Amino acid sequence: MVKFTAEELRRIMDYKHNIRNMSVIAHVDHGKSTLTDSLVAAAGIIAQEVAGDVRMTDTRADEAERGITIKSTGISLYYEMSDDALKSYKGERNGNEYLINLIDSPGHVDFSSEVTAALRITDGALVVVDCIEGVCVQTETVLRQALGERIRPVLTVNKMDRCFLELQVDGEEAYQTFQRVIENANVIMATYEDPLLGDVQVYPEKGTVAFSAGLHGWAFTLTNFAKMYAEKFKVDEAKMMERLWGENYFDPATKKWTCKNTGSPSCKRGFVQFCYEPIKQVINTCMNDQKDKLWPMLTKLGITMKGEEKDLMGKALMKRVMQTWLPASSALLEMMIFHLPSPSTAQRYRVENLYEGPLDDQYANAIRNCDPEGPLMLYVSKMIPASDKGRFFAFGRVFAGKVQTGLKVRIMGPNYVPGEKKDLYVKNVQRTVIWMGKKQETVEDVPCGNTVALVGLDQFITKNATLTNEKETDAHPIRAMKFSVSPVVRVAVQCKVASDLPKLVEGLKRLAKSDPMVVCSIEESGEHIIAGAGELHLEICLKDLQDDFMGGAEIVKSDPVVSFRETVLEKSSRTVMSKSPNKHNRLYMESRPLEEGLPEAIDDGRIGPRDDPKIRSKILAEEFGWDKDLAKKIWCFGPETTGPNMVVDMCKGVQYLNEIKDSVVAGFQWASKEGALAEENMRGICFEVCDVVLHADAIHRGGGQVIPTARRVIYASQLTAKPRLLEPVYLVEIQAPENALGGIYSVLNQKRGHVFEEMQRPGTPLYNIKAYLPVIESFGFSGQLRAATSGQAFPQCVFDHWEMMSSDPLEAGSQAAQLVTDIRKRKGLKEQMTPLSEFEDKL
Amino acid sequence: MDLESNYEIGRTAQFIHSNTFTRVALQFPDELLKDSVRVVSALRAKLRSLNNSSSSSSEQNADVQKEVGLFLMADTAYGSCCVDEVGASHLDADCVVHYGHTCLSPTTKLPAFFVFGKAPISVSDCVNKLSDYALPNGKRVLVLFGLDYAHSIQQIRETVMAASGSECKREFQFANVMCSVMNPSKDPEASNDLLARADGLTSSNSFGTVSGNVYSIGGLVWELPEGDKMEDHLLFWIGSNNSAFANIVLTYNGCEIVRYDALGCRMVTDLSQQRRILKRRYYLMEKAKDANIVGILVGTLGVAGYLNMIGQMKELITAAGKKVYTLVMGRPNPAKLANFPECDIFIYVSCAQTALLDSKEYFAPVITPFEAMLAFNRGSQWTGAYVMDFRDLINSSPVDSRSQSEEARFSFIQGGYVEDDGQGNDTEEEMDGALALANATEKALQLRDNPNTIAKRTAKSGAEFLAARSYQGLDIHYDSSLPGPYLMGRTGRAAGYENEKCRQEKLV
Repeated sequence: MVKFTAEELRRIMDYKHNIRNMSVIAHVDHGKSTLTDSLVAAAGIIAQEVAGDVRMTDTRADEAERGITIKSTGISLYYEMSDDALKSYKGERNGNEYLINLIDSPGHVDFSSEVTAALRITDGALVVVDCIEGVCVQTETVLRQALGERIRPVLTVNKMDRCFLELQVDGEEAYQTFQRVIENANVIMATYEDPLLGDVQVYPEKGTVAFSAGLHGWAFTLTNFAKMYAEKFKVDEAKMMERLWGENYFDPATKKWTCKNTGSPSCKRGFVQFCYEPIKQVINTCMNDQKDKLWPMLTKLGITMKGEEKDLMGKALMKRVMQTWLPASSALLEMMIFHLPSPSTAQRYRVENLYEGPLDDQYANAIRNCDPEGPLMLYVSKMIPASDKGRFFAFGRVFAGKVQTGLKVRIMGPNYVPGEKKDLYVKNVQRTVIWMGKKQETVEDVPCGNTVALVGLDQFITKNATLTNEKETDAHPIRAMKFSVSPVVRVAVQCKVASDLPKLVEGLKRLAKSDPMVVCSIEESGEHIIAGAGELHLEICLKDLQDDFMGGAEIVKSDPVVSFRETVLEKSSRTVMSKSPNKHNRLYMESRPLEEGLPEAIDDGRIGPRDDPKIRSKILAEEFGWDKDLAKKIWCFGPETTGPNMVVDMCKGVQYLNEIKDSVVAGFQWASKEGALAEENMRGICFEVCDVVLHADAIHRGGGQVIPTARRVIYASQLTAKPRLLEPVYLVEIQAPENALGGIYSVLNQKRGHVFEEMQRPGTPLYNIKAYLPVIESFGFSGQLRAATSGQAFPQCVFDHWEMMSSDPLEAGSQAAQLVTDIRKRKGLKEQMTPLSEFEDKL
Repeated sequence: MDLESNYEIGRTAQFIHSNTFTRVALQFPDELLKDSVRVVSALRAKLRSLNNSSSSSSEQNADVQKEVGLFLMADTAYGSCCVDEVGASHLDADCVVHYGHTCLSPTTKLPAFFVFGKAPISVSDCVNKLSDYALPNGKRVLVLFGLDYAHSIQQIRETVMAASGSECKREFQFANVMCSVMNPSKDPEASNDLLARADGLTSSNSFGTVSGNVYSIGGLVWELPEGDKMEDHLLFWIGSNNSAFANIVLTYNGCEIVRYDALGCRMVTDLSQQRRILKRRYYLMEKAKDANIVGILVGTLGVAGYLNMIGQMKELITAAGKKVYTLVMGRPNPAKLANFPECDIFIYVSCAQTALLDSKEYFAPVITPFEAMLAFNRGSQWTGAYVMDFRDLINSSPVDSRSQSEEARFSFIQGGYVEDDGQGNDTEEEMDGALALANATEKALQLRDNPNTIAKRTAKSGAEFLAARSYQGLDIHYDSSLPGPYLMGRTGRAAGYENEKCRQEKLV
C-alpha cells in the first residue's frame, strides 16, 4: 500500500468520467495475469522489482501451483495522467486522476463462465494475444462474448520478448507477424457490426494496439514513439503515428518517406526503422553487457538509471532498462484511458443489453446516464467465497445510484417476475467492500460506475441478482447472463462416512453458489452429481468442495461419467400398439428420426413450444421439408416441454382424441426423459400417433389408463426404430510445433478422435489442429498429450455436438450394448434392458 | 407339515372359545386361500368338540352357546399383512383371526389372533451357519427372524446356548415375538406394552426405538444391555427376503446385517440391493421437496393412529405452502395413481411393511410419512436414520418451519436454488378460504392467456392444473344448433373390435 489508500480511492469513485472498468481476456497462457501484475505494480500495491515474477492476481494456492488462473479477480488501480499526456484527450474528464477497475479472467476454456461474469460488469476489454501463437480458439470465443455484451476491445500483442530473445526474428518478419495477429483479431471484430458501439476494430496507428512483454514489464504503443519522433522530424504527432505503421518506408540515406520499399538496402518500414530496431538494439546491448555503448544510448533516449541499477547484468539489466524506458503500466493504462469508454459513456449504449424493463422508465434512464442520484441498480455477477468459511461476498457493479453500508435493498433473483413475490427479498447490506489486491477495504458507500463487493446478502443471492432500493417496487431486473459452455462432464460424489451427508449437502449448495457454471444435482439412484465444463473444472470444484465447503470431510468420487442421449436411426419397422391396463384402449405409434439440424434448431430455441404455429410450420416446411398441415399437428416437445423430441398427431377421424392429448403428452414427457435403452434423455425422435382406439366411457379412458400406455407405446416404437446412443463430442483445438504432430495424431487415434483440420500458422512453425474427440475419451487426454509431445501440445476442449454411435445397443456384445449395461448398472436398474414384448401388445 | 399344527387349529379354537366370540372373521392372504376351506372345517370341528365338553360341565349355558359363526375374508383392500378391520366390521365380527405373514400392526377396535404359520427350517444347519459366521466376527450378535420361523426359535436358541457354552451368553441375543394376540379394548397395562403406544400414548420420540433399551420392530421385541447401541451388533436375520426384512435393513442401515435363507440353507451377505433402496429413497425425498401438489394415499383403515398421522401430514404440507389432497383408493397401483396427474408426489400412510412402493412404474413417486417429514420440514436433514413405521413419527417432530431462515432452497433435482413460493402469500389465501379455489382458478386462467408464462409455472392446485389442460370437458357450440350426423359405432368385443380384426390380418 504505497501509493494509495481506501479514502483516496473512494474519492475518485465519484468521478464517473475518470473510471474505466475493464477485463483482461485472452487464450490460456497468453500472459494475462503476468501483464495484469505489471499494471498492479504500477498502481503501487507490490514493489516494482517483483512484478512479473509473482502473479498478484492468482490468489489461490492451486492457481499459483498450476500457473493458470481459475477464478477471475478484481482489482482497483489508481493512475494519474500528466497534463501533457492528456492534452489530446477529447472526452469528458474530471482532473487527471483515473480509477481503473480491472478484472483478470481465466483463459482456460473450462472456466469461461468466469469470463462471462467478468464481462458483464466491465465496459472495456484488454485482449491479450501472444505474438507468436496468434489468435487462438479461446481468444475468438471471449472476443465474441465481449462484443455480444457491447464491450469495447483494445488489443495488446504480448510476449514481445520472445521475438527478440528466443526467435531473434528480423524487423520485417516481426512486423508481418504482428500485422497478421491484428488482422485476425479484426476479422472477428468486424463481424460484429453494431451502430451504437461503432467501429470496434483495432489499429496500431490509432493507438488501440499495444505491444507488450508482460514478463519483463515493458510495453509501448505507437504513441510513445510518435511523441519521441514528432519533435525530431518536426511533424504532427498524429501524422507520425500513421507513418509508424503500414506501408510507410523510410530511407535514412535519402531521409525520405515512401509508400513502397524502394529496394535500397537502407530503406526500411517505418515501424521497423523507428520502433523495432531501437528496441532490438537496446536489448542486445544490455544482453551483451556492452555497458560502454549502453549509457550514451540511454542518455539519448532520455533514460536515467539509478546508482545500484547500473551494476545489474544481462537479463536483469535489460529488464530494468526496458521498464524504465517503456513502462508497461503507462503504455497500457494510457491506452485504456484514452480508448476504452468510461461507465457514463458505455452505459449509454449498454442499457439496451442490460435492462429487461421498458427502456424509458426511470431505471433505464438512471443506467443510461450513470446517475449517482438515481435509483440503485446493481448487478451481482458472482459470489466470491470469503475467508470466513461458508460466507460469500456478492461481487458486482453499480450501474446507477449508490450502494452504502446498512442500505436496505430489494434483491431480485434470476427467476423474479415483476409484480410477483417469487425470488424476491428485502435485506440490509451489512458492509460495502472494495478490493485492493489481496486486501479488502470497507468503504462507506460506492457510487455507480464502480465494482463492489457486498457482505451479508449471500443467503439471499444464489448465483446472480439485481439489487435496487427497497421502495423501487416497479424496477425490472438486469438481464441474466448467458454462458457459452455447458456442463457435460459429471462425477458422482458421496461422503466416506455416511453421517457426513448433511455436510456434503451443505457443501454442494455452497459450491453451486460459488461457481456460476457447476451444476449439483441428484441421480435417480440417489447419488449426488457434480457437473462441470471439463475435467479440470471438475477437479477444481471437487477440491473446493472438500477443502473449503465441507471443512475437510472426506469424499469419495466416482470416475467421471458422461451423459448420453437416445435416438433412433430409422422409421419404426412397423406400427406398434400398446393396450391400456384395462385392455380397452389401444394406442398405435411409430417413431422416426427428426430431420438433420432440427434437434439443434430446437436446442437453440428457433423452434419451440411457444412459437407462433404459423411461423413454426413455415420454418419446418421450408427448412426441413415438412408437410405444412403436419407441422400444425405437433402436440408437444419433450422432455421438459422444450426438448428436441416431439409427438405429432397423424390420426384421421378419431373420436375423443383431444381428450387423451394431455395424457399422451404427460406420458411422452416422462418417457422422453428416460429412454428405453438406459433411461437417458431422448434426442431427435419424432413420435407419430397413428391411430387410437378408446373406450366409449370417459372414465375408462382417463389419465390412469392412457399415461402408462403412452409411455409403453413410445418405448415400443423407439425399440422398433433401430435405437442408437448419442455421445457428446468435444471440439479440440491444439497448437503445436511440427515435430509434435506425430504424438498428437497417435494420442487422438487411441482416443477415437479424428482430425478434420490441420493448418500451419502463417509465419510460424506452429500448427493448428482441430479435431473431434468423444467426451468420454477425454479424461486424461491432456496429460497423455503432454506426455506424447513432451509438453509441447496443450488442448482446449469445448463441447461441440452429439454424435451417433454406430453400434447397435440391441445386439448383445456390441460396444453400445456394453455401454447401456454400464449405465444401467450405475443407475441401479436391471442390467438387462426391458424387452420389446413388455411394451408392445398384440390384438 | 400337517394342517392342524401349521394353522394352530387347537390354539385358535381355544382362543375363540375362551373369549366366547360368536362371530369370527378368518383373514387369509391370497397364497393361503387354497387351504381356507380345510382350515374352516377343522376349526369348526374343534370348536364343536370344545363346546360340547364345556357345555357338559355347565348345563345351564347350553342353550346360550350357539354355533360360532366363522367367516372367510380374502382379497384384502390394503396389505394382507394388516388386520382388515373394516372387512370384519362388515361381517359384524367380534374377532379376527389373521393367517400368514403379518406386520403385527396394532388394531383400533377388534381383538385379533395371529397365526404365523410354520415354515420348515433346518435348526442344526442354521445354528452352524450362525456360529460360523458370528464367532470370528467378534461383534455381539442379535438374532432376528421372520415370524413364520418363530416356532423354531426357542429350539435354535437352546442349541446355540448349549453349543457355545455360558461364556457366550452375552454374545448372542435373541428377539422375542411380541404377542400373537391383540386386544385393543383392554387396559394397556394388562396387555402388551406396545399396545399402549397404539393408543397414542407414545412414550418416546426417538426414531425406531422404544423407551430405554427395548427395541421393537415388525412384531419383534428385544432388549439390549444398558449402554449398548444397535450399531455395535451384528444382525442375523433368519427368514426370507421379504418386506419385513427390508424394513429391518432400512431401519438399522448402520448395522451389519446378514440373512440366513432357510429355504436354501445358505447365508446371504450381499445387501447392496437394500442399500441401493435407501439411496433411492433419498432421491425421492429430494424430489418431494420440489412438489407443489401432494396426495395423501390412505393405505390403511385399521392400523391404530392412522387418522392422527394423516392429520399431521396435512398440517405439515400446508405449513410448507403446498396443496394437499387426501385420496382413498384401496391398494394403489400405477393406473389408479395416474388418474391424478396433478399430484407431484404421493404420501402413502400405511403399515410399515407395505409402506415402500417401488416407484419406478408410478407416474409420480410414492413416499412414506417419514420421508415426507424430512422433505417438507425446511431445514431438517437426513442423517441416515430411517423410520418405516408411522406410529414412531406421531408427535415426533413439532411442525416448526417458521423459524427457519428464509434462504432460498437448493433443489438437487433442478440443480440450483429455487424459490418456494406460496410460503409467504399462503396466509392471505387462507384468509378468504372460500374464495381460494375461485382465485386459484382465476389466476390459472390469466396465465393461460399469456402462453409465454404458462410453461414456466407449475400448477399449485388441482384447479390450476385443470385450467392448464388443453382438454377441459365437452365443448358446447351454441352457434350450430344442428345435431351432428349419425355415426356408425364399433362392433365386436373390446379385446378387438371387428374392424380391427381385419386390419390385424392385413398386417400379418
